[in-house]
Amino acid sequence: MLNRSSRGLFAVGLVLLATAGLTGCAEIQKAAEGAARGSGNERLAKTIHGSGTLIGGLLPIGYEEEQTIGQAIALQVVARYGGVYDQPDLTRYVNLVGRSVALTCDRADIDYRFAILNHDSINAFAAPAGYIFVTRGLLKTVKNEAELAAVLGHEIGHVTKKHILDVIQRSKQIAGVAETGLAYANKNPDAFKNVIDGAVKKLLDEGLDQGKELESDRLGVIFASRVGYDPTAYETFLDRLRTLKGDDRAFFKTHPDFSNRLSAVRSTISEQKLKATGILLADRFSRSSNEAL
Amino acid sequence: MNHRHTFLAVMVFMVTAMTDAAFGETLYVSAKSAQLRSGKTSLDPVVASLKTGDALEVVKRDDRWVQVKTAKGVTGWIYSGNVSESKPAGGDNELAALGKGFRRTEASGVTASAGARGLDKASESYANRAGITQQHRDAVDRMTANKIAEDDIQAFLKAGRLGEYAE
Repeated sequence: MLNRSSRGLFAVGLVLLATAGLTGCAEIQKAAEGAARGSGNERLAKTIHGSGTLIGGLLPIGYEEEQTIGQAIALQVVARYGGVYDQPDLTRYVNLVGRSVALTCDRADIDYRFAILNHDSINAFAAPAGYIFVTRGLLKTVKNEAELAAVLGHEIGHVTKKHILDVIQRSKQIAGVAETGLAYANKNPDAFKNVIDGAVKKLLDEGLDQGKELESDRLGVIFASRVGYDPTAYETFLDRLRTLKGDDRAFFKTHPDFSNRLSAVRSTISEQKLKATGILLADRFSRSSNEAL
Repeated sequence: MNHRHTFLAVMVFMVTAMTDAAFGETLYVSAKSAQLRSGKTSLDPVVASLKTGDALEVVKRDDRWVQVKTAKGVTGWIYSGNVSESKPAGGDNELAALGKGFRRTEASGVTASAGARGLDKASESYANRAGITQQHRDAVDRMTANKIAEDDIQAFLKAGRLGEYAE
């Protein structure tokens, strides 16, 4: 139990901490901690200090930390998938399509960057902070720009909804780890490596929850449609993948089955009244990709 | 430990109180930048340049365009793909900034450099521990630094008759 003066000081500490939260200024937390220490109440000072760490662990990961996590995961994606395919014109084209879609997504004020992985498999990945990858194999399967826009929209959806960060946040809470990102990485590089490796395993080997994949399918078609691409192009693409991936068990370990995905996309087009604009831009896609692939 | 629980309850209340509530027909600019035009085509003159998060009061809607009034009282048309009903959370919403603020107490003197040339200190350290090759580090470094000018994106949209340039 706290005595009366401690309670008073604790109340002051709470007000100061609340102010610190509203202004995003950790210095005020330090001031509260210092005030408690100055009054000779070391236990209260430690509590205020500890509360900050605890709250920091429970609250969402900030953008600066997200960039660190995203970059570390991106390193591993590039390493595991044969490096980046060195075709500057095609990479610029994929970035133009991706950034056009990202302009109208629900988190348009962060940087999105797109790279092509030198790998024959048909896949795409999104790491936090807008690091998005498509494989050379996927680009070979795509027939027009509207299909590519929806695929990139799907990956942008993972970033806007912070799906990987959610996985990290939950694993942190289960492990009782209060910190991550910059402070955590620099003080505990081995533990940070475990966090990143865990996220990479989820992303590349186990796959995200099916609900997250279906949510990204819905978002992908909405984002692409906002730019003006024909939303039905994504249905055509998923249908083509169903034919190609019919018995690929490895693929279905990381993705929901195609009937669920197609049904999610169709219901989104109908519920959101997305217009079949007829804009596919097959010629522009062919011109940009044919020689490079 | 009771005071810690009290503290948590206060923080949860505070965070709930900080949540933005939208009143009436308000839209927010979701694109990084957007033009407010005097008419419903990309050929109409620009009456105001807007940026992410700007609040707009809806006057009326017409297919893919919305007539809105800005905080400064300018009325014009904006392409519906450039606005959203919820305020963009952006790189750091208040809640995430709050978490960062508290974590930062433990992270004095630590800075990140994503966006500039060179990997983050933490990513570099990860790359060392995970045995990532220099070639792959360079690839992610180039990817991080890769920028495309807004004008180039607008030209790309225009050439494809996309976005506000759709016919």
